[in-house]
Amino acid sequence: MRFVGSPLRQLFFQFRAHGLPVEMQIALPFKSSKPLALRERYLKIAPLSTESPIVTTVAELSATPIRTQARQQKPTFRIRPTTGWAALNVRELWKYRDLLWILVERDTKLLYKQTALGVAWVVMQPLIAAIIFTVVFGRVARLPSDGAPYLLFVFCGLTVWTYFSQALQHAGNSLVRNAQLVSKVYFPKLLLPLAQTLRGVVDFTVTLVVLLVLMAIYRVPPTFRLAVLPVFLFFMTLTATGVALWFSALSVKYRDCTHALQYFIQVWMYASPVVYPISMIPEQWRPLFALNPAVGFIEGFRWAVLGHSVLNPNLLCITIVMSLVALFSGAFFFRRAERGFADII
Amino acid sequence: MSDVAIAVKNLSKSFKIAHQRDGLPGYRTLRDDLIGLPQRMLARWKRNGQLTSETFWALKDVSFEVKKGEVVGIIGRNGTGKSTLLKILSRITEPTSGGADIYGRVGALLEVGTGFHPELTGRENIFMNGAILGMKRVEIRRKFTEIVAFAGIDKFLDTPVKRYSTGMYVRLAFAVAAHLDPEILLVDEVLAVGDTEFQQKCLGKMRDVSAAGRTVIFISHSMEVVSRLCPRAIWLHEGQLISDGPSDAVIAKYSDAGDRSAIQT
Repeated sequence: MRFVGSPLRQLFFQFRAHGLPVEMQIALPFKSSKPLALRERYLKIAPLSTESPIVTTVAELSATPIRTQARQQKPTFRIRPTTGWAALNVRELWKYRDLLWILVERDTKLLYKQTALGVAWVVMQPLIAAIIFTVVFGRVARLPSDGAPYLLFVFCGLTVWTYFSQALQHAGNSLVRNAQLVSKVYFPKLLLPLAQTLRGVVDFTVTLVVLLVLMAIYRVPPTFRLAVLPVFLFFMTLTATGVALWFSALSVKYRDCTHALQYFIQVWMYASPVVYPISMIPEQWRPLFALNPAVGFIEGFRWAVLGHSVLNPNLLCITIVMSLVALFSGAFFFRRAERGFADII
Repeated sequence: MSDVAIAVKNLSKSFKIAHQRDGLPGYRTLRDDLIGLPQRMLARWKRNGQLTSETFWALKDVSFEVKKGEVVGIIGRNGTGKSTLLKILSRITEPTSGGADIYGRVGALLEVGTGFHPELTGRENIFMNGAILGMKRVEIRRKFTEIVAFAGIDKFLDTPVKRYSTGMYVRLAFAVAAHLDPEILLVDEVLAVGDTEFQQKCLGKMRDVSAAGRTVIFISHSMEVVSRLCPRAIWLHEGQLISDGPSDAVIAKYSDAGDRSAIQT
């Protein structure tokens, strides 16, 4: 998006007057768009003591290079203080895609090297949780399961849920864990939580295989509806990334956020229809309930596997919108907070 | 002029120092911040917006220019802002005011072994470190044999790095960084570790890099290395640029000043 033209510029000055973010530039990796230079604004330098030899000035730095004779050649980059919102800089993320892939590989290898059971652990975790839930919620509490066998029912929810909880937990403190990298090397820090959410996809695939095995055991025939699962996975990744970006950015400044994250994940699980069907929620509350993006994903899985659920296009729309909101809000917050990471980590 | 590699003007960097108060930890917790919010807002209102945290200026109004192909040494006592300057030039942290223009690709070697994970093998760490420093995977694969040859760890490529000796570790880390091929190389005191043979190798590599026309900025505490490798030196003291010129002259001034207990700026 390029904000050019006078009507939009007018809008800008209105925003500026009201203290809202002045410009949000999204540099897309298309050949035709040139990277827009960041426009510096009035700088406010913190008040200094009188002993300081620095002259206190409030100066406006224009985007021209420091050396006027160097106008023929543009600098590769200009280092200036920035304030406020920062552009998402997708182009730079694309440039560092090799690093992203290597981070995903590294963390996958490490996870499997460090646990004695390796891949078996990825299989057993949701399975054991499913068995416990079946006993507690299915038998003892006798929660309904939309006519399907309870184990299969809860395992659909757990496939989604395990992805979220694992991805969030690893991504939430990814910055703090890699503090050394953050403070000593320049790279887009957004890659660190993103690598964790992408890595979770590998575990998710394993869990999916287990789900297919369970379907075979319960003699539920696979149908063409299963082809929709990759779409759900894509939006799940977006949501998880968005929430992870929020938490990882907050964790840098507030170290107790990692504890808050665990609590948040627990509460979120019970707010999602993992162990109970959405049909238990009264009709008028369902749109509100669907503001939780996990609702749409879990119901979508149940629809794809079991064939019947109360999923309707409205709820799906809400889910998609919420996952995009999560992603973009997380990304912009992260980029804004990123400039201070190296100093406070 | 198109021969400038780095142009720095009035670069300043400040940090806010939080002092430990009343037994609370130095780091911030969300819990403390939320609970203390009403008190802080009241304090802020009373003092008309003045906050009482102390501001520490790590860099004060530093300005200089480096032309392409120059090798510049930065000297100064510990804590005078040398590493901060390099961090700003490699975009890890932002300046508080002022700015810098960089012309060319930057490779920063601020710490040896960044990104190394003890559980991974040497081979995996080469890729990891290379990617972190900004190399593409094909580039790393192309230079792989050279890197291994420079580090001299052929036999140990597939053992986890935690089993390496310090020397091997440092040689491998430097080998990856040395093959970075940037137009501007920023090096921060990495020769402090390692034996003489390693230091010779590093110096030799840096001399090759500068002979190839690359710009090098090199922080060191060793005056012999600076005088041998860098024709120009910059002396930073307490965040300010005291002296900038031919390295022999600057080193002489620095050594003189070191004899006196207090330095008059």
